[in-house]
Amino acid sequence: MSDSVEYTKNPDVSWRTVEGQAVLIHNRLGEIQVLNEVGTFVWEHFDEGMETVAGKIAETYGIPVDTARNDLLDFFKELLESGALVEAPPENA
Amino acid sequence: MNISPLATLFGKAIYGHRPMFASLELTYACNLHCKYCYNPVDRKGQEREKKAERPRQKPLSYEEIIDLQNQLRDMGVFYFTLTGGEPLLHPRFWDIARAAKDRAFALRIFTNATLVDEEAADRLHDLCPYCLEITVHGATPETAEAVTGVSGSFEKQQAALSRLRDRGVRVFMKCTVTRLLEKELPQIKAMADRFGFPIYFDPVITLSDDGCEYPLRYAASDDAIRSLYTTGGINLGNSPFERTPGEMNCTVATGNLHIDPFGNLQPCVQWKESIDNIRNRPVAEIWETNPRLKQIREMNAKVLEDIKGATPHYDFCLHCPGLSLLRYGDPTRPEEQYLRVARIRSEIRDAGNGAPDGLPEPSEGGG
Repeated sequence: MSDSVEYTKNPDVSWRTVEGQAVLIHNRLGEIQVLNEVGTFVWEHFDEGMETVAGKIAETYGIPVDTARNDLLDFFKELLESGALVEAPPENA
Repeated sequence: MNISPLATLFGKAIYGHRPMFASLELTYACNLHCKYCYNPVDRKGQEREKKAERPRQKPLSYEEIIDLQNQLRDMGVFYFTLTGGEPLLHPRFWDIARAAKDRAFALRIFTNATLVDEEAADRLHDLCPYCLEITVHGATPETAEAVTGVSGSFEKQQAALSRLRDRGVRVFMKCTVTRLLEKELPQIKAMADRFGFPIYFDPVITLSDDGCEYPLRYAASDDAIRSLYTTGGINLGNSPFERTPGEMNCTVATGNLHIDPFGNLQPCVQWKESIDNIRNRPVAEIWETNPRLKQIREMNAKVLEDIKGATPHYDFCLHCPGLSLLRYGDPTRPEEQYLRVARIRSEIRDAGNGAPDGLPEPSEGGG
């Protein structure tokens, strides 16, 4: 995961909440991904940016911000590998 | 047992009577005239016992369909199916399908695909539904056209399957096993393999929605059904989604709901009883308060015991209460086709190594 690249939710992935958990529908791949409680929280707040989400997780779950940030990075890598996140197109594209 | 997180979530939802599956018949119009089609309309070449009644209600408008989608989304429906007839014939099909994607349903489209030309294939690629489910009618033009009653239907479907494969659209093929095509089962399987699409074989034929039994005239032979269960790598059933392997019962009125082209709400696509019309009151209100739906849920919770008492082969006996209702007026009575399949499967088990051979290797031809 590169620091210099912006990431965004994959437009081919739809999602909705089922029984309190985010379910991602990878329409192009034909796969479905279920996120746990924290993953759901992150996914729902993804658009607010890494630092904001890390802060909210730290506050909600009572952990240091650094820990939350590292965990988030690991989680984003998983989401990239699954295809739920993709590189954002350049702003002037 | 390995239960997926999604299955666990669905289990919770369905246990709480929150529907995960909804289907909408956009239209009964179709460009094919399949001999065993279950829609309650007259199709050329069918041998109906009686003429179908003309519908007296107006079809749902585009605006009503969008409102329905909003309601289903708010109810938490996950899989949303557009079916027919042939849904692509609906004048607003593309708008409706796009609206369903925008509402983040896992969109399934049931189609014969014969209308999928280059442009439609491009649009389907761009739409990116969760899957298309395409019914195939044979492995040769002669057989397919004997089923569909339309010259050229086989070639059109083959071309469409190629276009969809080339564009990476996700397809499931489906085949209702009838005597019209049973001699081509190996070739049909080989055809699906060549396209790289999974295929599901369904040994059970559905009666017409208005209770006519003409589709049963095309029931497959015991040998054909036996071959399905003695061949490795065969997917059975009418869908990859709605029943897990080995699951006996269904989720009628608990996990499923169905809407016909005129807005009548039914407990599932097979249970052809109009519970109410979505023009009368909100879907959620019907779902939560309709006394008939409560009755059906209570009935369905007990029906497994009825099956156990009805056949010594109950280990293998699926049950569709909707089909039983349609055929016998009694949703708890085991249906003859399912009993036959259960008997054949028991015979195979009892025969052990003496079981008949499965689908022979296809020789040649077949699309």
